[in-house]
Amino acid sequence: MMIRVNGKKHSWHEGMTIKDILKDLSDSHLYAVVRINDKHVSRPHFEKTPVPDNSEVFLIPMIAGG
Amino acid sequence: MAEYKMESLKTFNYDRPVIEKGYANQTLCIDISDFVISIKPVTEKTKNIFIGGKGFDLWLLWNAVNSTTKWRDPENAICIASGPMGGTPVYPGSGKSIVTTISPLTGSVIDSNVGGYFGPYLKFSGFDALEVTGKTSKDVVIFIDGIDEKVQVFTAPGLPDDSYNLSAMLTERFAKGKPRNISVVSTGPGAKNTLMGCLNFTWYDLKRKRARYKQAGRGGIGSVFADKGIKAIVARWDTVKVKTNNPADPNSLKGVGKKYSREIVELDPKQNQMAKIGTTHLVSIMNDFDLLPVNNFQYGRHPEAENIGQEVYRRIFDPGYDGCWMGCTLACAHGVKDFVPITGPYKGTKVFVDGPEYETIAGCGSNLGIFDPHTAIEMNFYCDTYGLDTISVGTATAFAMECFEMGLINETDTGGMNLSFGNRLSALKIVHQMARGEGFGQIVGRGIREMKSIFAKDFGADPDLMQDIGMEAKGLEFSEYISKESLAQQGGYGLALKGPQHDEAWLIFLDMVHNFMPTFEQKAEALHWFPMFRTWFGLCGLCKLPWNDVVPEDNKETDEPAKVMKHVEWYAEYYSAVTGRQIHPDGLIRMSEAVYNFQRIFNLKMGFGQREHDNIPYRAVGPVKTVEYESRHERYDKQLIEKHKVDIAGKSTEEKVALLRKFREELYEKLKDAVYKRRGWNNNGIPTVETVKRLGIDFPEVLELLRAYGVE
Ligand code: SF4
Repeated sequence: MMIRVNGKKHSWHEGMTIKDILKDLSDSHLYAVVRINDKHVSRPHFEKTPVPDNSEVFLIPMIAGG
Repeated sequence: MAEYKMESLKTFNYDRPVIEKGYANQTLCIDISDFVISIKPVTEKTKNIFIGGKGFDLWLLWNAVNSTTKWRDPENAICIASGPMGGTPVYPGSGKSIVTTISPLTGSVIDSNVGGYFGPYLKFSGFDALEVTGKTSKDVVIFIDGIDEKVQVFTAPGLPDDSYNLSAMLTERFAKGKPRNISVVSTGPGAKNTLMGCLNFTWYDLKRKRARYKQAGRGGIGSVFADKGIKAIVARWDTVKVKTNNPADPNSLKGVGKKYSREIVELDPKQNQMAKIGTTHLVSIMNDFDLLPVNNFQYGRHPEAENIGQEVYRRIFDPGYDGCWMGCTLACAHGVKDFVPITGPYKGTKVFVDGPEYETIAGCGSNLGIFDPHTAIEMNFYCDTYGLDTISVGTATAFAMECFEMGLINETDTGGMNLSFGNRLSALKIVHQMARGEGFGQIVGRGIREMKSIFAKDFGADPDLMQDIGMEAKGLEFSEYISKESLAQQGGYGLALKGPQHDEAWLIFLDMVHNFMPTFEQKAEALHWFPMFRTWFGLCGLCKLPWNDVVPEDNKETDEPAKVMKHVEWYAEYYSAVTGRQIHPDGLIRMSEAVYNFQRIFNLKMGFGQREHDNIPYRAVGPVKTVEYESRHERYDKQLIEKHKVDIAGKSTEEKVALLRKFREELYEKLKDAVYKRRGWNNNGIPTVETVKRLGIDFPEVLELLRAYGVE
């Protein structure tokens, strides 16, 4: 029962959302988009997006646009 | 393949110079009216002030045209240049060319940044820049052969019109068995019959064994090319190595290039995966933040946006290396193999499509109310092969569709076409009509500015309403982001020199999502720094994507994460290593400032470049219609109450739309004031004498021009 967040091991629990992961970070305000495996998820959906067990989560530092 | 003959009209032999520290130190000038070919030296002064790339192009163009030159005039020049770092194979994103001309859409200077091998091959053949003037009725092919040291002009009756076939045939014709040695610049029939023609620049894909292409899309450069009677320009060059560009300090260059390449290889898979999905990740992200243009920029999201997002294109793109220049590890130029169009001359035939990128998906998809990935691919394919800019095609069609839905035009005006949003076949039909120069597509191909006057004059449409919803500024169609909720991005579009293209400043996320720049002064600072730094890429022959689409892991701990200063420092190192001129990151901004201000003054020379020309349609600033207001009423109500201290109780939506408009238009004018001040311009948006002196662009003709506008 574990996920990886930016390559580091992170505990996982049933019903975990992206918001739960960011809650533990001091710089969570910087992340407007994260990636769970291959799927980008944006801030408006952090609260309701579940993170499956064994996921690779990447915190995307910035969206630079065109 | 079509039968064709090639007949040489002119051969010009030359001695290829040795490249010195990224420069060939000369320019190739071709007047195709009488096939006069000449070489002009590039002076140290030109290099100091204009650096290369867009800077060189602008200087050539400035000297070629006068203030009354129109786009069709023979003296209008098409200038193409890479830059001192262009052609470096070890530093990602180092193969860009910049193209400039007087635009048929704006009447002023346009510049477009494009990948493919042409710019580097031109330089290694002995020319930092190419200037083509004149006009011919002969449909000529220009061949710049850096290996055999000759420039030739051919007529080639029988060559196909469309860029897809033409690029492939000319690659084969000139390759002498080595197709990777060839880069072709061409356009298609759409460019001839509209004002929004693009140029396709090829790069050869060894694995797929085909000429691929990237587009110099904006502002109708392809239409000027076609009007001049140029069928194609071909460059031929040999193997490229680091030493081909003869950098001042190859070891230092290799060092910094290796760091950068490795970082991309390590971090892109953890960040946006552009090497796999290009810029398609932006579709769902923009949709989530209410920023994806839907139905002519009325709305920012749509429930079906996922259908045209990265998950779908990840499956459709042909996997493999897709770098538009050698050694680019970000390699984002993806394509679709074995695509079978359902319309047009390639109907039922398997083709390879280069793209689509985010702009095309949004412009020819969501903004037309079309959420089918294959239509976006088909629009992409035909726009490229006909030589049309997907952004202008998308935005102009979206405008026509909204006019149709609002009853400003009807089916009689469109030649019987139902132009409702979401009508895929009508959207494709318009593209085919553009290529043939017939029907309603021919009108759309004139661009939104002309469409507005045609609709008003011929169809009795309301000009004020069209002014509000027609997404053009300076005559150029907007690129594909909703700027309504970001004042900084309104400036990013409205204050851009060539018109509303996001390549000068893309500040929506920093402003709206991160709120990094709450004050006017901060917005003005961003609208100074970002356009300047982004300009710098175009001076040097570089692609901007590797700068901030992959960022170092410790970037967030830096003072200004948005600037990605570690990369800026690497760029300064890179510049110093190639040119031998030691430079600090601040020096990069200073280089750009000179060229940037010169371009603003060039606009002035052409009769533009003042405050009134920085106006944007209200659709880019706020909700025009009540349905738009209501789609975001919580945000707008809150703003009226909290920011503007309005008591909205009992007010109708129409009244609230009008109130919000008054406030937002005032804010945009205040933003202009702040940005002009920061850029060293007067209140009319004209650079002051002090500014031009500080930047070393106080040439007599510049000072005379400023004087004519009361700036002394
Ligand atoms: S990042 Fe993409 S567009 Fe830029 S040079 Fe590399 S492949 Fe070309």
